[in-house]
Amino acid sequence: MGAVTPFALRVPATVEEAVAELRADDGRPTAVIAGGTDLLLDIDDGRLLPERVVSLRRLPWRTIDWSAEALTIGSTLPLRSLEEDRTLRERIPGLWQAVHAVGSVALRHRATLGGNLGRAAPASDLIPMLLALDAEVDLVGPGGDRRLSLDRFLVASRRTRLERAELIRSVRVPECRPSAYLWQRVRPANDISQIAVAVTYSPSARRWTVAAGGMPPRPVLLPEVAAELGAGRPTDGVVRSAAERARREVALASDQRASEEYRRRLVATLVARAVRSVTFEERPVP
Amino acid sequence: MTAPALTLRLNGRATPVAGVPDDERLLDTLRWRVGLKGTKEGCRTGDCGACTVLVDDRSVLSCLTLSHDVDGATVTTIEAGAQDAEVARVVRAFAQAGALQCGYCTPGFVMALAGLLKERGSSATVEELLEGLQGNLCRCTGYASIARAVQRVRSEAP
Repeated sequence: MGAVTPFALRVPATVEEAVAELRADDGRPTAVIAGGTDLLLDIDDGRLLPERVVSLRRLPWRTIDWSAEALTIGSTLPLRSLEEDRTLRERIPGLWQAVHAVGSVALRHRATLGGNLGRAAPASDLIPMLLALDAEVDLVGPGGDRRLSLDRFLVASRRTRLERAELIRSVRVPECRPSAYLWQRVRPANDISQIAVAVTYSPSARRWTVAAGGMPPRPVLLPEVAAELGAGRPTDGVVRSAAERARREVALASDQRASEEYRRRLVATLVARAVRSVTFEERPVP
Repeated sequence: MTAPALTLRLNGRATPVAGVPDDERLLDTLRWRVGLKGTKEGCRTGDCGACTVLVDDRSVLSCLTLSHDVDGATVTTIEAGAQDAEVARVVRAFAQAGALQCGYCTPGFVMALAGLLKERGSSATVEELLEGLQGNLCRCTGYASIARAVQRVRSEAP
């Protein structure tokens, strides 16, 4: 058998029990497990040494709710279920592309959106897309419920504003938008993006959003690049200047997966490709 | 910490497994407690797909799945063989296409493909099936014979 840290698994049946279980940690290191596809790697490598692990598998959060404009995704819904939703690809194509980019089919059958956001990996494929969609995170904890923008929820690599005994209940995408998510990697599956770009266009607000990920310390929104794109369908010249702005201004660094220079070239290419790939109907200006 | 016995519906048979520690992975429970060695340990980090099994008819990486988190579930491994229509169909296609050399990755490929067939029914194209196998690594075949097995599975739809 592999060398694993022994821990006690708790499987609360309700949200209240889960929060109570997390509060009753007596100072012992405690982790939360949803699918476990990321957490268990850190436990195996000794980066995390929990004595207790609280499983969310019995909580009623494997949900997907479409309203007229918004999408609410339960935090423990397997990513594959989101990917297989019949309307996601059509209504928010960029989010479908981002989900599809995570790991492999077998990994996505276990991995969850809550786990991805709670673990806050710098190379998360879902975070840049959800940032670009202006997503919000709904939390539940001892102090009650609260809602944070995803941008505010994230602090740094592997760090969020989740407080002790607080859990991610769901993620809300306030508006379904034409969108795209493009990435660069060594291997197409089971690999981590060296750089990735998410873009959306809001026909109602007549504005673009752009985010980048795949680089430390965390995925970021790029409001200057988005502003450069203006309102409506940009001309080729505008797309080129926005891409150039991304190349010059995005905070990028070198690490074991890619050099800063490689990331700069790629971020420009991906911004231009992503914007050109987004299709939408221009609404007449009133 | 040792939790109460868990029960798996393993290859069609209710299988209680006693003494499974809380932190044990499904891969280890299958191989070392139940004795089903067909499921292989490759990387143990979710990168190679060799440990793929089906839980409630969906492919999962058994090295990254806690056994207690699938208590009560239906688990299907390569040992299901002829008892499972999709597994049998894929095994036949792999044999006819000669889609293996050392064979270590084969159970993972078979279970991943059988899972895709269960999930997508007959609607999946060859391209979708091949893309769905990107999480499985093979260091011997160069994948050409595996791709032929996938085509064979598709052309011999039941």
